[in-house]
Amino acid sequence: MSDIDIKRISYLAKLKLPSEKEEFYSNSLKDIIKWVDNLKKVDTSKTEPLHNVTEKTVSIRNDEVSKSNSVDDVLSNAPERAQNFFKVPKVVE
Amino acid sequence: MKNSISQIKKALIEKKISVGELYDEYLAKAKSGNNNSFNLVIDRENNISSINDSQNRYDNGNPLPLDGIPLGIKDLFCTKGIRTTASSKILSNFIPNYESFVTQQLLNDGSIFIGKNNCDEFAMGSSNETSYFGPVINPWKNKNSQKDNLVPGGSSGGSAAAVAEGSCVASMGTDTGGSIRQPASLCGIVGLKPTFGSCSRWGIVAFASSLDQAGPLTNCVEDAAYILNSINKHDFNDSTSSNHQREDYLVDINNSFEKKIKIGIPSDYLEDVSDDILNQIDNTKKALSKHGIEFVDVKFKTTEYALSTYYILAPAEASSNLARYDGIRYGVREDGESLDDIYLNSRTKGFGDEVTRRILIGAYVLSAGYYDAYYRQAQKVRRLIKNDFQRILNEVDFILTPTTPNEAFKIGDKLDPISMYKNDIYTVPTSLAGLPGISIPSGLSKNGLPLGVQFIGNYFEEKSLLQLAALAEKELSFNE
Repeated sequence: MSDIDIKRISYLAKLKLPSEKEEFYSNSLKDIIKWVDNLKKVDTSKTEPLHNVTEKTVSIRNDEVSKSNSVDDVLSNAPERAQNFFKVPKVVE
Repeated sequence: MKNSISQIKKALIEKKISVGELYDEYLAKAKSGNNNSFNLVIDRENNISSINDSQNRYDNGNPLPLDGIPLGIKDLFCTKGIRTTASSKILSNFIPNYESFVTQQLLNDGSIFIGKNNCDEFAMGSSNETSYFGPVINPWKNKNSQKDNLVPGGSSGGSAAAVAEGSCVASMGTDTGGSIRQPASLCGIVGLKPTFGSCSRWGIVAFASSLDQAGPLTNCVEDAAYILNSINKHDFNDSTSSNHQREDYLVDINNSFEKKIKIGIPSDYLEDVSDDILNQIDNTKKALSKHGIEFVDVKFKTTEYALSTYYILAPAEASSNLARYDGIRYGVREDGESLDDIYLNSRTKGFGDEVTRRILIGAYVLSAGYYDAYYRQAQKVRRLIKNDFQRILNEVDFILTPTTPNEAFKIGDKLDPISMYKNDIYTVPTSLAGLPGISIPSGLSKNGLPLGVQFIGNYFEEKSLLQLAALAEKELSFNE
């Protein structure tokens, strides 16, 4: 197992760990990755990955228009809104 | 002994109690809040039209299957107009505009919601200590150290404690790696995780979508069948919802089996376990042998890989599912100068330690260079685990295991995540295989604390699983 770059991982997860907690999470992650490392010794060369455990065919409904999620419903929990939009800081200069 | 759903319905039909009086009785207990089992309790005024409608149906002689029954709902199910937090700071102000599929079925059948049960944050935990709203306290006490507050198990810890303390008749929980069965065992009640794909996940705050499954926590096996009859339906809004024909789980539940039943006990599960746990298996074996049920030793080949597989797959799925919490569309926003700062601040301040840890594990195992070695390998081993269960279930009708490796422990006792994760050693393999499992109370430990056993059945065979559990329950029932 190579070293864990906690800064990179937290950036990928869009988290900004406080510097005093970086070591805590880094050590914890190392312990857990070491613990799950036993999977590497399992021979899976002839095994397909399992995505859906019951492997039932996905059922498909008729393509009929139904009414759900009005604009007001969708925006009702928004921390900030302006008219029919979510409001965020300016992203384009 | 607490009243069962059928006993309560009988009292309502015979007018020994009104729906309103029944609601008030449970509400008073829920409001006392001694064990912190609810994040939110619904006052009578806010349920008055449901209470009146239900009473009218009793008065007119045509009550619905769950009419007037006060239920707790884990705070992971979206409930229309009722705050739904997943016990997280980041959702602490979230009010859904829609009702989850499962809770809608319960409302359609006449039940009335007392409130939202506390749980581990985003259902990530085995002791209900990760909740933003504080830990839940197990209503049971160790008879040798009465002062200690014990964990109820998790993540459906509030649901289990609420049923055990009598502040709701039953509660809806969710189970990803043991989150219904483990707390049910530690609180001395019944917990059923149905087959993956039985009960729709639509409207349940997602944790690990290939594992999450809704199910009831109840006082008795028959009550679990009542709830399952209501919630086990096909739903087009969940693409993994199975569209097989459902059965009536109450019919035949008290009948004996017509054919000879064989139950497998995995001996590798019982290595190094305490006498307390071994006693549960021995007692269950003795009790059921009287009914002509045969027990055989079975051996799994994949047990040692189950927890590792789970702690790669579940965090990987959680890391993707929890990407939606960005402080923009709903939930708590923490301000920042740029859009990116809002994302970073909202997420960092909105998630607790355990959720942060799981997101980081997930991001790591999914990241470039590690994906094949961890995530893909875990998905392959998951198939081997499933095959292992299928091999055993070709030899036997059911599998019997302990539900948990120990009794309820003290709040604050397990600080190291890996020792916490090991609590789910007996429930995680079943979850990975997607099979149904039920935990029923089987006896008390030396410290006077409840313990449970788990029965595992074949895919979508909840009917015979409940029949077996009902039979075992009659033999094993103990007084508090």
